[in-house]
Amino acid sequence: MNSKRHPVEKIYMAIIFLFMYAPIVTLIVLSFNGSKSRAKWGGFTMEWYANLIHDSEVLNAMANTLIIALIATIVSTLIGTAASVALTGMKRRTRSLVIGVTNIPMINADIVTGISLMLLFKVLHFETGFLTVLIAHITFDIPYVMLSVLPRMKTISPSVYEAALDLGAEPFFAFRKTILPDLTPAIISGALMAFTMSIDDFIITYFTKGSGFDTLSTKIYSEVKRGIRPEIYALSAIIFIVVLILLLTSDRIKAKAGKSVRRERSVQREKIRRIGVIALASGASIAIILMALAFGGVFSKNSTQVFVYNAGEYIDPEVIEMFTEETGIEVVYDEFESNEIMYAKVAADGSAYDVLCPSDYMIAKLIDNDMLMKLDPAKIPNALQYIGKQYYESATSFDPGNEYAVPYCWGTVGILYNKTMVDGPVDSWDILWDPKYQGEILMQDSIRDAFMVALARRGYSINSVDPEEIRQATDDLIAQAPLVQAYVVDQVRDKMIGDEAALGVIYSGEAIYTRRENENLEYVIPKEGSNVWIDGWVISRDARNVDNALAWIDFLCRPDIALMNFEYITYSTPNVAAQEMIEDEDIRNSNVAFPDEETLSRCDTYVSLGEDGDRLYNEAWKKVKSAD
Amino acid sequence: MFRDPKKAGTIASPYFVWALIFILVPLAMILWYGFTDDTGAFTAANIASILQPEHAKSLLLALELSILSTVICFLLAYPLGMILAKNKVSSQGIITTIFILPMWMNFLLRTFSWMTLLENHGVINGILEFLHLPGIHVINTPAAIVIGMVYNFLPFMIMPIYNSLSKIDDNVINAARDLGANSVQTFLRVTLPLTVPGIISGVTMVFIPALTTFAISTMLGGSKILLIGNVIEQEFTLTYDWHLGSGLSIVLMVFIVINMVVSALSEKKDEQ
Repeated sequence: MNSKRHPVEKIYMAIIFLFMYAPIVTLIVLSFNGSKSRAKWGGFTMEWYANLIHDSEVLNAMANTLIIALIATIVSTLIGTAASVALTGMKRRTRSLVIGVTNIPMINADIVTGISLMLLFKVLHFETGFLTVLIAHITFDIPYVMLSVLPRMKTISPSVYEAALDLGAEPFFAFRKTILPDLTPAIISGALMAFTMSIDDFIITYFTKGSGFDTLSTKIYSEVKRGIRPEIYALSAIIFIVVLILLLTSDRIKAKAGKSVRRERSVQREKIRRIGVIALASGASIAIILMALAFGGVFSKNSTQVFVYNAGEYIDPEVIEMFTEETGIEVVYDEFESNEIMYAKVAADGSAYDVLCPSDYMIAKLIDNDMLMKLDPAKIPNALQYIGKQYYESATSFDPGNEYAVPYCWGTVGILYNKTMVDGPVDSWDILWDPKYQGEILMQDSIRDAFMVALARRGYSINSVDPEEIRQATDDLIAQAPLVQAYVVDQVRDKMIGDEAALGVIYSGEAIYTRRENENLEYVIPKEGSNVWIDGWVISRDARNVDNALAWIDFLCRPDIALMNFEYITYSTPNVAAQEMIEDEDIRNSNVAFPDEETLSRCDTYVSLGEDGDRLYNEAWKKVKSAD
Repeated sequence: MFRDPKKAGTIASPYFVWALIFILVPLAMILWYGFTDDTGAFTAANIASILQPEHAKSLLLALELSILSTVICFLLAYPLGMILAKNKVSSQGIITTIFILPMWMNFLLRTFSWMTLLENHGVINGILEFLHLPGIHVINTPAAIVIGMVYNFLPFMIMPIYNSLSKIDDNVINAARDLGANSVQTFLRVTLPLTVPGIISGVTMVFIPALTTFAISTMLGGSKILLIGNVIEQEFTLTYDWHLGSGLSIVLMVFIVINMVVSALSEKKDEQ
């Protein structure tokens, strides 16, 4: 049979094959690469696999994916099959109307389906999480079941069923004996389709998931946005191998089944029916157990958990474990990419998180909109004792009575540059507009920081809401866009370490870390001035675990914990006791970690812009992002 | 059960309730949010905002890239479908599986693999450098997004085209040849028209997700290139303007409806 194939055809198949599999093979090869760099081979290693096995977040996400897919498949198969059977008995017009509605989630864009469900859940004050994702999955799974079952149902003649009824059979018994056997293959293939769709879904899950809940897809998305971790290669390899084995075995079974059907149809049918029943029964029981576990989890949520929403890469993971060990409080930990993203999430659902870590101007905005809770001083003694007075003093600019926030980290925004890729000293924001570095510049994907750069460069206030000044800044940023390689947040550090870019706008805390990893990197605060910021812990007004949240804040203010954190994330700590404990003299006296008065005098804090100011910036930012 | 509509209604009722609450009501909410402002008053401004340059641009770019990707997918998939459908022997199952297999891998991981390949210091440039060839700068450009779209959605084009090609009766082709048509004529006047339904479903399955994606453009476009999907996503996750986001979603739905109507019409034409 293959002999007939033309060589051109073979070559064509080979090219497509290469296109499809080269990326996958690359991922698998890289999963064994000892070097973190993609372009170099650093020897064979199993390290990423070992890390993955211990990564409870990824494992949890994987379990969630499977549980959701399984339950959604069972429920949607039951509902969808019942509907298909019933529809065949209805008037034609009703039928086509119902089918039209059914097809909506299948034809509609996932993003619209996801958003529409999100709006529903928010308006009904449904707590987003496991249950909402499950409902969403059932919703988009049903059409796939019906797509498979309905056409088959139409071909089945009701006469045998009616004969059974005439002979005195109970309706359900008659249905089970006469129609179900013919329908089972269609039901099974519909269920498989639903399962696949559920496993692969990202967009709808992304919009309907709540705090602290991730499926594999949403987990991968946030990981990838943060930077490329080799552990993801290992994950890809494992998933690919599992899928490959599953598909090849199912193919073999199908091929075998196909042959035997021709020979002994009735026996085969009986077998399929039995398998179907067994699968359904075991599936249902697994689902019930899992559901019980899941609900158990939901109920146990209240007293022993705390929902933390922090910026990305902003804590030593060991600190979280220590907190749980010492207090018995389980931490549900989520990360946001920017203050604005955090705000959108908290504004949509104030009870999603208990304790948040926004920046100064965002804390002011949260206070203005009555979204925070005053902290009980009696419950945070460490915070009062160890955080330096001067930091509380600065914090009054956004939290006048120091009632809402406890400073966590502070620092500046500056330029990180690679000495080997940039000529001469860097001392001005102007270099980010130098055409010489086209494609070598990384800008922050954060509205305030991007505009701060443009405003400071022109000598304007970094809190300007003057439309003319913003217009000029917008034009500057648009002019800069062709030079920019990418707008990123946490990826700046990985890209700079990996020599992917020559210049990047970055927070001072990252400067120390990146210097350690790549000695060619240098951090500078441009002469035009910059932003000095403070991030602080605050508690959401609608928090459900207030005491746990306070315990969390106080724990982070313990000098040994603050020191641990500082050494891990290298962001300047306002914890005076911890500052004194820093062993490395270079860092303790570093002008990057703890800039001198002269540098600080050039820097300003952000203030909240107010609603109109926010709108002005948002509109302008959209123009910039769509400019290139 | 078959003849008694009342009973049928009872059995289907869980589904009716489900479809009402989780399909129709949510869509009504998008309409409601899309046509109102913060105060709840009626406005068409959210819809009209598609005419703002930055929104219009993101929509046009999304249309451009998704149409381009759809065409590329079609041009790649059709010949492959023909080759695959040619030998209708049992081994075809495995071969077909091989070309559809990547579809079963997580969609984000597939996109992620191209991030790794296309980066400035990524795998492809590493190989080119090793061969002393000039490097390529594709990452964070529209070209990277098109590659990502084609790679992700190609199996969705291969599957329906292959299915409709393998359903064509050999006798039909042979008849055309016997009646004197050459291979080009046979292809254009017999094979191609017979596969139109497959092509239409392939085009829909590629075009709609490509038009509305935001993950591919974020990952391969470096947040530098905004497609309409990105704009809508950001209205919900970043700027917190549900009304504007819903308004733009309605505009997006118009394009989906257009696609549906066009494919329904051409299918009808085909039947005649």
